[in-house]
Amino acid sequence: MRWGMVVDLDRCTGCQACVVACKAENNVPVSAPKSGREGRLMLWMEVIPEVEGEYPNVRARFIPRPCQQCDQPPCVKVCPVQALSKSPEGIVSRVFARCIGCRFCVQACPYGVIQFNWRAPQWPGDLREALDPDIAVRPTGVAESCDFCRHRYQRAREQARADGREVRGEGDYVPACVEICPARALTFGDLDDPNTEAARLARGPRAYRMLEDLGTAPKVYYLKEG
Amino acid sequence: YHPISRGSLCPKGEAGLQALYDPDRLRGPLKRVGPRGQGQWQPIEWDEAIATTAERLRDLRARGAAHTLVTIAGNVRGLMPELIRRFLTAYGSPNYVSTAHGCETSRLLMRLTQGMDEPIAYDFERSAYILAFGVSLLEAGWSPVRQGRAFAHLRQGTPGRRARIVQVDPRLSVSAAKADEWIPIRPGTDGALALGIAHVIVSEGLYDKEFVAERTFGFEDWKDAGGRVRQGFKSLVLAEYRPEAVSAIAGVPIATIARVAREFAAARPALALGGSGASLHTNGLYNRLAIQALNALVGSVEAPGGTTVQGRPPLAPLPPVRPDAVAERGLAMPRLDGAGTDRAALAASALHALPQNLRAGQPYAAGALLLYYANPAYSSPGFARDPEVFQQVPFIVSFSPFLDETARHADLVLPDHTYLERWQDDPVAGVWGPPVLGLCQPVVEPRQKTRHTGDVIMEIARALGGSVAEAFPWKDFSDLLRAAFHGVAQTRRGLIMTTPFEEARQRRQAEAGFWLPTYKTFDEFWTQMAERGGWWDPAEGLRDLPAAFQTPSGKYEFYTLGLGLGLERPGRAGTGRRRADPAAIREAALEAVGVLARGDQVYLPHYEPPRFVGDPKEFPLHLVTYKPMASMGSRTANQPWLAEIPAGGPTRAWEAWVDINPETAHALGIHDREPVWVESPVGKLRLRARLFAGVHPEVVAIPYGGGHQAGGRWAEAWGANPNRLVADESDRAAGTPALFATRVRLMRA
Amino acid sequence: MAGPTHHAEPEDAVLFAPVLGTTRRFWLGAAPLLLLTLWGIYAYTLQLRYGLGVTGLNRPVAWGIYITNFVFFIGISHAGTLISAILRLCKAEWRRPITRAAEAITVLVLFFGLGSIIMDLGRPDRLFYVLQYGRLQSPLLWDVTSITTYLTGSSLYLYLPLIPDLALVRDRATGWRRSLYTFLALGWRGTPGQHRRLERGIAVMAVLVIPIAVSVHTVVSWVFSMTLQPLWKSTIFGPYFVTGAIFSGIAALIISMAAVRRAYHLESYLKPVHFNSLALLLLVMSLLWFYFTFAEHLTAYYGGELAEAMVLFAKVTGRYAPAFWAMAVLNFVIPVALLANRRTRTVAGAVVASASVVVGMWLERFLIVVPTLANPRLPYERGLYAPTWVEVSITAGAVSFFMLLYMVFTRLFPIVSIWEVREGRQGLKEAQQRMAGYLPGNAELAPAVSPTPVLR
Ligand SMILES: Nc1nc2c(c(=O)[nH]1)N[C@H]1C(S)=C(S)[C@@H](COP(=O)(O)OP(=O)(O)OC[C@H]3O[C@@H](n4cnc5c(=O)[nH]c(N)nc54)[C@H](O)[C@@H]3O)O[C@H]1N2
Ligand SMILES: Nc1nc2c(c(=O)[nH]1)N[C@H]1C(S)=C(S)[C@@H](COP(=O)(O)OP(=O)(O)OC[C@H]3O[C@@H](n4cnc5c(=O)[nH]c(N)nc54)[C@H](O)[C@@H]3O)O[C@H]1N2
Ligand code: SF4
Ligand code: SF4
Ligand code: SF4
Ligand code: SF4
Ligand code: SF4
Ligand SMILES: [Mo]
Repeated sequence: MRWGMVVDLDRCTGCQACVVACKAENNVPVSAPKSGREGRLMLWMEVIPEVEGEYPNVRARFIPRPCQQCDQPPCVKVCPVQALSKSPEGIVSRVFARCIGCRFCVQACPYGVIQFNWRAPQWPGDLREALDPDIAVRPTGVAESCDFCRHRYQRAREQARADGREVRGEGDYVPACVEICPARALTFGDLDDPNTEAARLARGPRAYRMLEDLGTAPKVYYLKEG
Repeated sequence: YHPISRGSLCPKGEAGLQALYDPDRLRGPLKRVGPRGQGQWQPIEWDEAIATTAERLRDLRARGAAHTLVTIAGNVRGLMPELIRRFLTAYGSPNYVSTAHGCETSRLLMRLTQGMDEPIAYDFERSAYILAFGVSLLEAGWSPVRQGRAFAHLRQGTPGRRARIVQVDPRLSVSAAKADEWIPIRPGTDGALALGIAHVIVSEGLYDKEFVAERTFGFEDWKDAGGRVRQGFKSLVLAEYRPEAVSAIAGVPIATIARVAREFAAARPALALGGSGASLHTNGLYNRLAIQALNALVGSVEAPGGTTVQGRPPLAPLPPVRPDAVAERGLAMPRLDGAGTDRAALAASALHALPQNLRAGQPYAAGALLLYYANPAYSSPGFARDPEVFQQVPFIVSFSPFLDETARHADLVLPDHTYLERWQDDPVAGVWGPPVLGLCQPVVEPRQKTRHTGDVIMEIARALGGSVAEAFPWKDFSDLLRAAFHGVAQTRRGLIMTTPFEEARQRRQAEAGFWLPTYKTFDEFWTQMAERGGWWDPAEGLRDLPAAFQTPSGKYEFYTLGLGLGLERPGRAGTGRRRADPAAIREAALEAVGVLARGDQVYLPHYEPPRFVGDPKEFPLHLVTYKPMASMGSRTANQPWLAEIPAGGPTRAWEAWVDINPETAHALGIHDREPVWVESPVGKLRLRARLFAGVHPEVVAIPYGGGHQAGGRWAEAWGANPNRLVADESDRAAGTPALFATRVRLMRA
Repeated sequence: MAGPTHHAEPEDAVLFAPVLGTTRRFWLGAAPLLLLTLWGIYAYTLQLRYGLGVTGLNRPVAWGIYITNFVFFIGISHAGTLISAILRLCKAEWRRPITRAAEAITVLVLFFGLGSIIMDLGRPDRLFYVLQYGRLQSPLLWDVTSITTYLTGSSLYLYLPLIPDLALVRDRATGWRRSLYTFLALGWRGTPGQHRRLERGIAVMAVLVIPIAVSVHTVVSWVFSMTLQPLWKSTIFGPYFVTGAIFSGIAALIISMAAVRRAYHLESYLKPVHFNSLALLLLVMSLLWFYFTFAEHLTAYYGGELAEAMVLFAKVTGRYAPAFWAMAVLNFVIPVALLANRRTRTVAGAVVASASVVVGMWLERFLIVVPTLANPRLPYERGLYAPTWVEVSITAGAVSFFMLLYMVFTRLFPIVSIWEVREGRQGLKEAQQRMAGYLPGNAELAPAVSPTPVLR
C-alpha cells in the first residue's frame, strides 16, 4: 500500500475548509495574533493563492499544500535523532517526544511545509477542552507537519482487523481535510492499487507533482486546471 | 446527509466549535454598572434579568409608548425572527428593523417582477452558463458549501460538459478567479452592462421569443387603460443601450459585451444573477431589475437552470396574534426608520436611516432597543462611525452570546446559547428549488449560564401578561418548533435526510410514486429529524408557471406595475399636495427619493446613474468591501482559526489591509505591505497596502469582518472595519442602505 | 607591565610574567567582557524559558544568526590547529612564536561553535537524544562527530607542545599555581627520551589534525549543501567553506596576536615579520575567497534557474544587497588594498585588514544562511528576518566570553611557546647550514651574511 492524495486545482475553490479541518483534527495550536504577524502561523495544510498577470488579464489559483509525503523524503534523512520516519505504507510522520528542535528537517524540505513551535502552544481558556485527547499536543521547541492524519489510518486498521479484513484502498481511511472538502477537490487512496480513484486520477493527463524534478517523489498529486 | 451541505462544511461551519469554546463568550446575564459603553458589568441571575426587562417594557407600554420599542435583528432564518415579530405585534411596535441589507433587494426583485415576497432562488447545477454580477458565489452568496459543490460539479462533474462561468466584479474575487472569465467593471454600472447585453440579444433577435411573448409583460410598447402608449423594454433597450454607450459607462470593451451577449443567448439554460455588488449602490434595485431582465429574455425564469422561488416547507401556521388596544395604537404609528414611507417606500427596513432619526428623535424618540443577532455598531456605517447615538435610547438589551460592539452599549446582556447548544430550525432560502427544512438539536449541554433567546422572550411576554402573554401559548421554543413541525409531518411527504445511498433509493421510490414515510407518529418524525438533521421534498420541483407569476399582469413584468404601488400611494408624499393628481404625487416622490428617471423608465429596468459621496477630484477612488469566505461579519470575528485563513493568503494573517491596483499604487508611490491611509469624506483608516493586480484601478477593496473594537481577544486583533469610512447613502428607489457608494483617497502613512 | 621577577633569569622573562600573576589592567579588561557574558547568559535563560519565540526566526527563515555564528566560529577555529599544523609540517621556522596563540583560539572557539548549535536548538534538554537515537544519515550527526573529534584532536595538539612550557612555569611558580602546573606538566623533565616522544606525538597530531580540520568545515558546509535549497545545493561548498574558514581564522589570529603583543609587550617575539607572513597568507586567502565567491555566484547567475536567481538577486540587488556589498568590500577590497601594498602591509595594516575580514566573513556566513531561507524554492512565502535583542545579546555574550577565556588562557599558559622559541634559537645555526645545503655551489661555503634571512 502506498497512500496518496490527489488535489484537483480545477475543483478547488480556495475555501480553506481543509485548513481549518486539519487544525481541528490534529490539535494544531492557534497562533497568537502576534505570532501570526511574525510569520509563525501553524498550519499543516495551507491554501496558497497564486496570482499571475497584469490587470485586466489576471489569473489566480489556489494551491492546497499539505506535506507532499515524499517517497524519497529529504526531511527524514537529515533528522539527527530519527524523530521523522516513513512507514511501510509511505506515511511520513514524527515522534514529537524525540525532536530536539534543530529545524534541519525544515531546511531540508523543499516544500516548506514543516512548522515549528516557536512558542509554547496556546489554548486559552475553554479552547483546551476542544482538543482531541487522542492526539499529542506538541510542546514548545519541536517541529511538526502533516502526517496524512496517521491516527485515522490506525483507527481504520483497527476497525478492519475487528471486521477480519484488510484496510480497503479507498474509503476506510480518509484524512480530515479530504473528508471536509466541500468541492470534493481532494481524493485519497492507495496509489499502488490501480483501481482506486486516487490512482486513476494520478495517472491522468492533468496530473503533475510539485517540484517533480527534485526527485523527492511526492505522493501528493495535483491536477491542472482546464 | 443534508442536501445542501452533503456532509461537508465550509471553514466557518468547521470553526463553529471555537464559538462554543470561545474563552471570551459570556458566562451569564450581565447588568451594566458603570456609565454606558465603559465596560463595567455585574453578573446577575436570569430571574432578575428577565424581571428587569419586563418591568421596563411594561412601563413603556403603560406610558402609551409601546411603539417606541425598537428591535434590530440580524439575518437569521427560521422561526426566531417570526417569534420576535410576533412579540412586537402583541406588544404594539411596528419597529422590527432588519440588518439584512443584502437580501432585501433580492426579495424586492421577486416582488416587483413576479409579485412574490420571497427571496429569489437559483438553479445553478443545471445551468450551462452563469453570468454573475457582484455576487461571490464561492465565498459569500447564500451557501458557500452548496455553491462550492455546484461549482465543482459544473467543472469536473460530468466529463465533456463544462458550464461557462463569467464573473462581473470590480475585483478578482475568488469566484472571479475560478470563473472562466472575469469582467472588471466600474462600480455602480452593472445595470448599464446588463442592458447593453440585452441590447445585443434583442437587436440580434437572440431572445426566447416564445417565453417573452407568452410569459412576460412590458417587452413591447403597450397601451394603458387610458389608451396612452407606454414604452416597453425592447424599445428602451434598443434606443438607449448600444454597446458603445454602455462600454463608455461601465468600462467594459464593446467586443466583450457583444460576445457575452451572444454566448449567453446561445447557451441554454443560461442564468444571470446579481448580489450585493449590484444591489448595494444608489441604483441597486434598477441594477438588479436589469440583470433579471436577462433571465427573462432567454426564458430562464421559473425554468430548470434558471431562477425560481425557494419552496416553503409546509410548517403549520402559528395561531394569529390578537393585539389589545394599546398594541393596536402602537402598530398604527409610523416606523422609526421610515421604511414604507416617504424616502423608503419599498423597503421593509431602512437601517441606515435609524441613527439620524434616533439623534433627531424623529418621528419620535426611541424608548427601548432589543438587539437580536445583530451588531449595527459594527455592521451599519451610521452606528459604526458614531456609536454614541445609542445614548439616545434609554434602555438597551442585547441577546448576544458575545460582548460585541453594540452589546457594549447595552444596559443588559441576556446571552443566547450558541448554535451547537440549542434547538433551531433552518429552512433553507434562496438556494434550491425544492423545500429544505433543517433541524438542529443541541449537540452539547449549554456550557455557560446562557438561555435560548426564544425562551427568554416568551418569559418576558409571560411577565408582561395579558394579550402579550397570550400570544405565546407554548412552553418554550422547542415546544413552538414541535407545533410548527407537525405541519410537515402531516403532509407525509418528503424525505428525512439520510445517507446519500439510502437517499438515492428513497428518492427513486418517491419519484415512482410509491414512497412511504419512515415514520408513523409525530414523535418518530421528530426523533428522526433531530437525529438526521432535516427534511426535504425532492418531488416538489418548479412550480406551474401561472402560479409563479402573481403580478397584476399575471406574467413576468419587465414593466413593473408593482413599483408604481410604492410611488403612487395616495397621500404618501406629505401634506398640501392634491391627492387627485397621481403625476404630481409621483413627481414629488421621485424627487424626494432622488430617482433621476422620469416617465415609463421609472418602471422599467434602466441605467440610473449611481451617486457617490465624495468629490471625484478629491476622492478619486471607489471603496468596495467584500465578504471573505472565512468571515461571517461579527459572528465569527473571535474565531482564531478563521483569522488564520484570510482572503489574502496565509502571509496576511492577522493583518489589516486594503487591496490596491499596482498601477494606482505606483502612481502614489505606495509599495506592497506599506501602511497607507484610506480616507473618505467621513473617516479614515490606517491599513497595509496589498498590491493586487486583480482590482479595478479606480477601486480599492477592503475585506469585511475584521477590525472589531469588542467581542473578544481575537476579534480585536485583526482587520479593520471599513464601515468607519462608509457614508450614509441609500438605494434611492428601494430605500435600503447603499454601502458601496463612498469615494476615498489614498495617502502614504 | 612588570610581573614578579624573583627569578633572576632575564631570558624570556616577559613570556613568563603574565602567567605568574594578574594585574589591575587585566581585571579592568576582563570586567566589561564578564558583564557582557552575564548579559548574554541572562538572554539565554529567557530563551530557555519562552522558547525560540524570543528570536526573530520565523517561517521560512528558521535558521538565523545562531547558525551564522556556528559556521563563523567553526571557521575561526581553523586559525589555529590547521595553520599551526601546516606550518609545523613545513618546518616553517617563523611559526615558533605564533603556534600557541593559534592553537588556543581553535580549542576555545570550538566550544562556541558547538554552543551555537545548542543555542539554536528548540529542545536543548533533549540534546543527548543525538547519542541515544542518532541517525548516521544526518549531516548534523556528522557535524557533531567531526567537531567532537576536532575538539579532542585540537586539545591534544594544544596540550602536547604545552607540556615543556608547563614544566618551565612549574619551576618558577609558587602556591596553587605550582601544584597546578606540576599536575599538568606530567613530570616533564626535558630528557632526550621525553623530547623524542613529544616531538613524535606532536608530529603525529599535526598530520592527523589537518584532515580532521578540513573535514570539519567540509561537513559544516554539507549541512547546507546536502539540502535541496537554492544556492545551498552546491558542490564547491566544501572547499569554499574551508577557504573561508582559513581566511577568517588567519584574520582572527592576527588580531589576537596583535592584542597579546600589545598587552604583554611581546614586540620582540611577535615581530613585524610574523605579521608580514600572516598578512601575505591572508592576502592569498582573500584572493582565493574571491575566486570561490565569484565562481559560486557566476554559475548561479549564468544557470539562471529561477529559484537560484531569486536568492542571487536578493543578495546582489535586493534586500541583502547592502550586506552583500559590504561583505565584498570587507573581505576583498580592503584586505587586498592594504596587504598588496608593501607600505601598508604593516602590523597596523594587517590588524585593520583582519578586523575587516572577520566582520566580512561573519556577513558572508549570514548571507549564506539567510537569503536562501528567505527565498525558498516554492515562491509562496517570502521571509523577513531580523535578529532580536535576545539573539544579538547571546551572540555578543558568546564573543565576549570567548575573548574572556582567551585572556584567561594567556594568564594561565605562556601564549608564546617558550621552549620552541628556545629550540629555534638553538636551531638557528643548524638551519643556516641546512639552507646552505640547498643552495648551488659549494655546500661547505656557509654564507656568512644572508641578505634575506628567514627572519627579517
Ligand atoms: N463568507 C460569508 N458568506 C456570507 C456572508 C458572510 O458574512 N460571510 N453573509 C451572507 C449575507 S448576509 C449576504 S447578504 C450574502 C452576500 O453575498 P455577496 O453579495 O456575494 O457578497 P459580498 O461580498 O458582500 O459582495 C460584494 C461583491 O461585490 C463587488 N462589488 C462592489 N461593487 C460592485 C459593483 O458595482 N458591481 C459589481 N458587479 N460588483 C461590485 C465587491 O467587489 C464584492 O466582490 O452573503 C452571505 N454569505
Ligand atoms: N461594509 C460592509 N458592511 C456590511 C456588509 C458589507 O458587505 N460590507 N454587509 C451587510 C449585510 S449584507 C448584512 S446582512 C449585515 C449583517 O450585519 P449584522 O446582522 O449586524 O451582523 P452579523 O455580522 O450577522 O453579527 C450578528 C451579531 O449576532 C451575534 N450573535 C452571534 N451568534 C449569536 C447567537 O447564537 N445568538 C444571538 N442572539 N446572537 C448571536 C453576535 O454578537 C454578532 O455580533 O452587515 C452589513 N454590513
Ligand atoms: S477544502 Fe477543498 S475546495 Fe476548499 S480549499 Fe481545501 S481543497 Fe480547496
Ligand atoms: S527539528 Fe526535530 S524532527 Fe526536525 S530534524 Fe530536528 S530533531 Fe528532527
Ligand atoms: S514534503 Fe517536506 S516534510 Fe513532507 S515528506 Fe517531503 S520533504 Fe518531508
Ligand atoms: S492529511 Fe490530515 S494532517 Fe495532512 S493536511 Fe490533511 S488533515 Fe492535515
Ligand atoms: S457557515 Fe454556512 S456554508 Fe458554512 S457550514 Fe455553516 S451553514 Fe454551511
Ligand atoms: Mo446580508
